[in-house]
Amino acid sequence: MTGEPARAGRPTRAPDADPRLAVSVQGVSKEYALGEERVVALANVSLNVDRGVFLALAGPSGSGKSTLLNMIGCIDTPTRGRIVINGRDVSGRTPDELAALRARTIGFVFQTFNLFPVLTAYENVEYPLQHLPEIGRRERRERVLHFLDVVGLADYARHRPNQLSGGQRQRVAIARALVAHPQLVLADEPTANLDHRTGRNILRLMRRINRATKVTFIFSTHDPQVIRMADRRVDLEDGEIVRLGVRARKEWSYAFERAAEPPAFADGETQPGR
Amino acid sequence: MLKLALRNVFRHVGRTSLTMAAIIAGVVGLIVSGGFVHDIFVQLGESVIHSQSGHIQVSREGFRQGGAREPERYRIAHPQPIEKTIAATPGVRDVMARITFSGLLNNGRSDLAINGEGVEPDKEAALGTHLAMVAGRRLRASDEHGVMVGDGVARALKLEPGDRVTLMLSSEGGAVNTADLDVVGVFRTFSKDYDARAIRVPLAAAQDALGTPGISTIVVSLERTEDTDRIAGELEAKLAGQHLDVATWQTLNDFYAKTVKLYERQFDVLRAIILLMVLLSVANSVNMSLFERIPEFGTMRALGDRSGFIVRLVLVECLVLGVAGSAIGAILGVLVSAGISFVGIPMPPPPNSDVGYVARIEIVPVLVLAAFAIGVVATALAGIPAARRAVRIPVVDALRQAI
Ligand SMILES: Nc1ncnc2c1ncn2[C@@H]1O[C@H](COP(=O)(O)OP(=O)(O)OP(=O)(O)O)[C@@H](O)[C@H]1O
Ligand SMILES: [Mg+2]
Repeated sequence: MTGEPARAGRPTRAPDADPRLAVSVQGVSKEYALGEERVVALANVSLNVDRGVFLALAGPSGSGKSTLLNMIGCIDTPTRGRIVINGRDVSGRTPDELAALRARTIGFVFQTFNLFPVLTAYENVEYPLQHLPEIGRRERRERVLHFLDVVGLADYARHRPNQLSGGQRQRVAIARALVAHPQLVLADEPTANLDHRTGRNILRLMRRINRATKVTFIFSTHDPQVIRMADRRVDLEDGEIVRLGVRARKEWSYAFERAAEPPAFADGETQPGR
Repeated sequence: MLKLALRNVFRHVGRTSLTMAAIIAGVVGLIVSGGFVHDIFVQLGESVIHSQSGHIQVSREGFRQGGAREPERYRIAHPQPIEKTIAATPGVRDVMARITFSGLLNNGRSDLAINGEGVEPDKEAALGTHLAMVAGRRLRASDEHGVMVGDGVARALKLEPGDRVTLMLSSEGGAVNTADLDVVGVFRTFSKDYDARAIRVPLAAAQDALGTPGISTIVVSLERTEDTDRIAGELEAKLAGQHLDVATWQTLNDFYAKTVKLYERQFDVLRAIILLMVLLSVANSVNMSLFERIPEFGTMRALGDRSGFIVRLVLVECLVLGVAGSAIGAILGVLVSAGISFVGIPMPPPPNSDVGYVARIEIVPVLVLAAFAIGVVATALAGIPAARRAVRIPVVDALRQAI
């Protein structure tokens, strides 16, 4: 955080092959046709995310948080613009190529947990490893047990999702998101179905993992308490980025605020959107 | 993948049992309805065999075409060696001779033209299990001058057991012979037309009145009806060169084939309806359970599963479900069939008959296998398009349905 404070979440059209970037969103728009009307869910959004950050997407309902996360997660495609994950442009890839990319580089945590109901906690965590044939039986087992341990559920390996509390389910989901050693974990409102305390604990767990493993985390939330736990924040409104924040100690300093004067960027890039 | 499929099937009891129930009901329905139809044909066949024709008849060539007009031209003069040959064939239960004739039966007031048969009473009694007695008793070997008359004959001449009748017929030599006979019983077969003209007398009495030692046909009864065609073939080979004609009960009763054909058409429609219902209900429950799982498939794809993997997974699940459900359905279908057969369904008389019967459900191995196969194939076929549809939904939309 010391070197280039404005870097994470900087709106820019940087070159693809910047090795420090986990994600680069470049002029991305998403539009839906609702009958005659056109709904603009995202309007020309650009964003760079450094490796290893713990980033919150904030903004009112309908501001485009989920849309942006889905696009970064390669489960939705932009109407315009490019998404670069790990230096690789993902536009124009076939569904199967995208599936393979997701399997190896992206972990998902869902608002509704989305565990497989017929599988035990152990089997749920193990599931993504089926895509990694290079991982042998023993390592498989070690990894699953390790991540169950990391999320504090070593004793619940044989439980089925319906035998677990909401918080426990989300912990299983986090272990599942991490087991394939992805570079990036995306979580769309991971705490929305949990009470505040449990939600904060989940966030703490995610942050601890982020610190320990340097895996990039991007999550969306409505909860100001939860936003406070991030070290970067991106505020969306009506499909546009309106604020980029960096936290130092307990204070946010904003690298960019739409309401204010266009900020002078260190490298002289122009501001996107509008 | 098989492991996951098995888990999806066996750990999701509610969903599985719903689809399973549809498959089981369908397979049972196919087995029972098919077995019921089959039983009707079997019973009709058995009643033809055991009230009239026997399984196989051996007669002189041309007898079946011209025997009614000139019975004396087609007599078998020395039946014993032929009967011996036939009796020595494995699968043959009994061999008996019949002589057919036509004549007039008189009750003292009026005449009735009849088609008579001289028979060997004890052997015929063993064969004629489907011959119903309306009054009196069957003919016995000791009834030298006894006669058994068809229901229609008894009605036309107002005959009862104990009455005395006179049979008039023309002998081989051309003379008119008469025989006084005592009515011992009134019988009924499945066919009204037959009963309206039929009388049966002891073979010796008929030969005596006709003035011939010969006979018209050798009737063969078998241990098992299924062997008919095979044994008929063997007999044909054994009796080759003797100018004899070997005919099975199916050839002898062409009305049977016609009836079966007619009913078969109607039952085909019934079967098609049942089949359609099976397909629809299985497809429906497979569709429903797959629809429920759209968010699950969305999650799987988000985690990196390809669409093809999910379609194959669903196919494997459907095959597991189909095989398990159809196997249970087949076993249950056989049990249900056996249960219904044990109780029996009383049926009204078929057309052209006065005799009602008790329907059963025939357990036909081919039908059970076909029902099993239909259950498996229907489930698999229902699963593939439903799975294809489910994975065509964009991942985001599939996930959104979780809420
Ligand atoms: N499939 C769709 N069809 C039409 N419009 C859509 C669709 N998905 C999203 N939108 C619209 O896009 C905009 C952004 O939606 P999005 O779900 O990204 O908001 P969000 O910030 O995640 O909101 P929330 O906080 O309520 O989850 C909204 O106006 C929404 O109505
Ligand atoms: Mg959302």
